[in-house]
Amino acid sequence: MEIYLPIAEMSVHWLIVLGMGGAIGFLSGLFGVGGGFLLTPLLIFYGVPSAVAVATTSSHITASSMSGAIAQWRKRAVDLKMGAVMAAGGLAGTGFGVWLFTFMRKQGQMDLLVSTSYVLLLGTVGALMLNESLGALRAARSGAPAARRVQHTWMHGLPFKVRFRESRLYISVIPPLVIGFFVGVLSAIMGVGGGFVIVPAMIYLLRMPTNVVMGTSLFQIIIVTAATTVLQATTNYSVDIMLAAFLIVGGVVGAQFGVRVGARLRGEQLRLLLALLVLAVGARLLFGLILRPDDPFSVSVAQ
Amino acid sequence: MRRWTALVAVLVFSAMPARATEDLVAGVSQDTIEITSSYTGTDVIVYGAIENPEDTGTNDVVVVVRGPDTDMTVREKSRVVGIWLNRDQAKFYAMPAYYFVASTRPVDKIAASYTLQRYAIGLDNIVPERIVSHHDAEPFRKALIRHLQHDSLYGEQPGGVQFQFPTLFIARVPVPAVVPRGQYNVEVYLFRDGTVISAQSTPLFIDQTGLERRLYNFAHVSPLSYGLSTVLMAVLLGWISSLVFRRND
Repeated sequence: MEIYLPIAEMSVHWLIVLGMGGAIGFLSGLFGVGGGFLLTPLLIFYGVPSAVAVATTSSHITASSMSGAIAQWRKRAVDLKMGAVMAAGGLAGTGFGVWLFTFMRKQGQMDLLVSTSYVLLLGTVGALMLNESLGALRAARSGAPAARRVQHTWMHGLPFKVRFRESRLYISVIPPLVIGFFVGVLSAIMGVGGGFVIVPAMIYLLRMPTNVVMGTSLFQIIIVTAATTVLQATTNYSVDIMLAAFLIVGGVVGAQFGVRVGARLRGEQLRLLLALLVLAVGARLLFGLILRPDDPFSVSVAQ
Repeated sequence: MRRWTALVAVLVFSAMPARATEDLVAGVSQDTIEITSSYTGTDVIVYGAIENPEDTGTNDVVVVVRGPDTDMTVREKSRVVGIWLNRDQAKFYAMPAYYFVASTRPVDKIAASYTLQRYAIGLDNIVPERIVSHHDAEPFRKALIRHLQHDSLYGEQPGGVQFQFPTLFIARVPVPAVVPRGQYNVEVYLFRDGTVISAQSTPLFIDQTGLERRLYNFAHVSPLSYGLSTVLMAVLLGWISSLVFRRND
């Protein structure tokens, strides 16, 4: 049965959309990531207009982060104060990101903005993850524990220090605000939750204890992607609720299977796989930017 | 718009109670197309007859279907420091969002180019109200037509109008799955030896109906509630899934 997506203005078979949601859900359950960085490019490759793909994926991330956040909440593994500070930065970032998105859309450079952001971010994150997971695999083989340095950094000299009880930290609010802002911008222009940026930032920059990292980042992601969805709906009219519904239903079911398979694989191997996947998506988008296009002309029709 | 003046002139002219000359009666299989969830494109049948046919001379029928006017931007990518990005652009104001022409013969065989230009018949004779471009707009126009043809929004079918009997004709106009909403016009022209002697214009409405229409309106009329509803749906679905799958964990 075909369904007509009222905002993307295209007919698709419902099984295809459900399947895409399921496949991305499976991968996100497998790797423990939101999957926005895979879903947005997949929708674009499938022919959904980039604006609709980015905006609709935000609502998918809100849903797929819910069950994880609830589970972490029950374990009391959420630092609400830290989450709130990062979300505040995130909301400002989302506002700026949606503004930038609308501006670039009017300039006809939105695809460039989306592709370049993806290439830069996926390239960097993928390379870092690949390096880290290869190092961890080597370390596991030689039997030595992976080295982790803990030291005072320049961040401890910043003003506006606040005590974050659950994270056992006494640090300035500026770094979490800035990280939140940066992730908010990414959320708006790429349709990602930004977990693959927040989680390393929390661990390596803020030095939060790992037990609260997952819950706090999910908490922040839910707030920021929800805000992004509303902002995209009100400024760009680009959220497709029908597409979102099918993607979410497929996604939450797929995630359950992903989690089960993921439990049987080793962490380092999973991270290596994820790094390769991230690099592959980044490379695909990079080729789109540097290879001579089949047709240099493109047409956009006013709504 | 010259085209309309010309069309009106022909309509007035043919409405005059003159002696029994050749005339045209035409109809369209439907006056509305409703885009529902199961819509995957359709065919509109245009049919008609020539009244009081004369024995000498050549009759030709041309069917033109035009969609609502819309603004289109064509962008051209070029290479800047190794990256292909949109550099040049041309804006076409008030281009038909859909255009299809079917005829008994290739249109350039039917009438002289100035006649075709006057009635905007044929893909090369679609003229926007205004073009804004810093460069020669011709390559952009060609690219525009090519893209719209590829998307089945523009089309040309010489031989698409077929006479079933000497005076009865029929044409099949394909309307693709992705088609803009709005008022379309079905125009039927009767040419005799290269001159329009009769013409008829019938409106055709294409609209979304049902749930899709309501969602589209909702998104555009009250975007804030629409955005909040989407978030609420996402939160609820996420929460329900965690309830459903909880006991399995």
